[in-house]
Amino acid sequence: MGRVVVLWIALLSASRVVAQLPPQLARERADYAAWLATSPVSPLAAIAQQPIGDGIELGPSDADIPLGGVPRHRLTQRGGAVTLDGPTGRRAVPRGVRVRVGAYTLVVDGPAGRAVLTVFGSPRPHAHPEFYRYQQSLAFSGPLAPPQRPGRVRVLGLDGIEVEAAEAGSVLVPIQGDRVRLRVLRLPTTGGEESELEIFFRDATNAHGSYPAGRFVTIVPLGGGNYRLDFNRARNPFCAYSTAYPCPAPWRGNTIAAPVPAGERYTGGTVPASAVPAEVP
Amino acid sequence: MRLGLAAAALMLLAPPSPVGSWRAVLDLAGGTLPFTLEIGRGAGHWTARLCNGRECHPLSSVRLRGDSVVLEIADYAASITAAFHGDSLSGSYRNVGNRGPRVIPFRASRGRWPVTRAPATLVGRWDATFFSDFGSSPRVFELRNGTRGLEGTLISNTGDYGHFAGTVRGDSFALAHFDGSFVYLLTGALHGDTLRGVFHAGLHSETPWIALRSTGAAHLRGPTEITGADTTAPFRFAFPDLDGHVVTERDPRFAGKVVLVDVFGTWCPTCHDSAPALVRLYRKYHARGLEIVGLAYEVTGDTAVDARQVRRFRDKFGIPFPLLLAGVNDVDAAGATLPQLHGFTAFPTTVFLGRDGRVRRVHAGFYGPATGAQHAALIREFEAEIERLLSGKPGESGALSRP
Repeated sequence: MGRVVVLWIALLSASRVVAQLPPQLARERADYAAWLATSPVSPLAAIAQQPIGDGIELGPSDADIPLGGVPRHRLTQRGGAVTLDGPTGRRAVPRGVRVRVGAYTLVVDGPAGRAVLTVFGSPRPHAHPEFYRYQQSLAFSGPLAPPQRPGRVRVLGLDGIEVEAAEAGSVLVPIQGDRVRLRVLRLPTTGGEESELEIFFRDATNAHGSYPAGRFVTIVPLGGGNYRLDFNRARNPFCAYSTAYPCPAPWRGNTIAAPVPAGERYTGGTVPASAVPAEVP
Repeated sequence: MRLGLAAAALMLLAPPSPVGSWRAVLDLAGGTLPFTLEIGRGAGHWTARLCNGRECHPLSSVRLRGDSVVLEIADYAASITAAFHGDSLSGSYRNVGNRGPRVIPFRASRGRWPVTRAPATLVGRWDATFFSDFGSSPRVFELRNGTRGLEGTLISNTGDYGHFAGTVRGDSFALAHFDGSFVYLLTGALHGDTLRGVFHAGLHSETPWIALRSTGAAHLRGPTEITGADTTAPFRFAFPDLDGHVVTERDPRFAGKVVLVDVFGTWCPTCHDSAPALVRLYRKYHARGLEIVGLAYEVTGDTAVDARQVRRFRDKFGIPFPLLLAGVNDVDAAGATLPQLHGFTAFPTTVFLGRDGRVRRVHAGFYGPATGAQHAALIREFEAEIERLLSGKPGESGALSRP
């Protein structure tokens, strides 16, 4: 059976490429800015992220993660369970739950045996996230083509933590006269039945206005087998806010030759080429 | 006169009273999730409930802020904030995650959802298959007409998703469950003899499914097939009770008794269904030699916080048997504290111990009252198992052994 190629369409005609920011998107951006500025687990508050492996020490200056004013603690994992030992005894550290130690917040995440610790301090002052001017021509809708090879792949999520994602398919998007096929992975989220369809992409704006290592954009079901891909909603990975996070490696095939001047910008200055990871298969 | 005008002006400026019944929806990416918001007046304060048909969940506070009403759902660190626009409300439901805010648009208008009844072709038990990018998996739908219209639940290998309520239009239906934390919407339509539809979870997740009317043959894995156990030695546990005293399986109160070990969490909605059923079983069989012990796996891992939560749970259900603080609600972590269970996946899990302390049966999950006949059958099954164990007869279901 021949492969059906369905090109995604822009949600509005190209003659009206720059339009007013839709109120819903304005609210989403305001919520995100507020979360960045105030949440105790904002990436702006992250000071360290490290796999727990055989155990890590926190506290004094010779610890794996020195934390001022915190006596020596040791974090270990066994059979999927993560425990924290300190001067006041032992306590369990459930995944995704915030645990206070002195002036710091600890969050453990990641699968059994590969748990990762992120340590948060006080949020650093930071200008609001900046965005390119809204471009209606970079919002598309269309179907999701099934994956050529269904399967699973380990990738880093937005927060630098490895997840087992499923190949969800691909979308074919017209950008500046080119037809670009972008690979879509389904990334599980914490708890319940939820997951997100994500595209991690690179484009010609990387290091020239947008984050050098690429950006995430979530595709959203519209019903009837159609999805929305709105590059105006592209987000920087958390490594753009703090060097505590590793940057996700670009996904195979998701490099757009043309610029995509939409979504979140990067104003953090120069990022060394060595900080941009190589593509994953 | 001047005061009267000022008062009238203030009344015009003040937001309208939120008291009343509201037809509410969450606008998910792939559809609208309907529920009812009921706001009432208590002693000096407002009260509110989120309702899915006849089942309601109380909110922790209601207050006005400027031209908006703010509804707090403290248990889940979530809230609904919505501005008045005449007789309608619009705003958002939000809770705070570790990867950013989770925000879902919310709308409401005064009134109640019409009661719609499903045709006979829709009600009943359906064997469904969910198709996700992570693979396919079985579910069972129980659909029925209740006093508030179409209702039902979804059942997976490890339990049910709670009470769903919804609307019907011809052969199409939408059933919702929103308790302030879980955001579930099941939409579908009948095509010939087949139901097809989409299960929506949260703002974005959509899982297509297909269902055929149940033939009565087993579609789900049996709850006793999911978790195995070492049956070669007495089942061991040692955890502190709510006063800090460590209780083990060697405690004299368990000696020579039939014991049900209830692995639960106060955060787990299904455990709120199983707790009253276990209390009834305890009251019915305790005099004949049944003991029950609850092992609580809680959210924070902070003993003081978790103990407070478990005490509240104990008092809510009048639980007469001991509840122990066993650990945190991570399936892997919980499994690690009970190494004699193999493949532990579900809260609650009920472990049946014979008079010799060895595992006779492990039941993962629990069919709550929302499952109707399934719930009744499960209680009968539990009672039969307890009767067998009390009489010392070998269990028909057999012990599970994967040492």
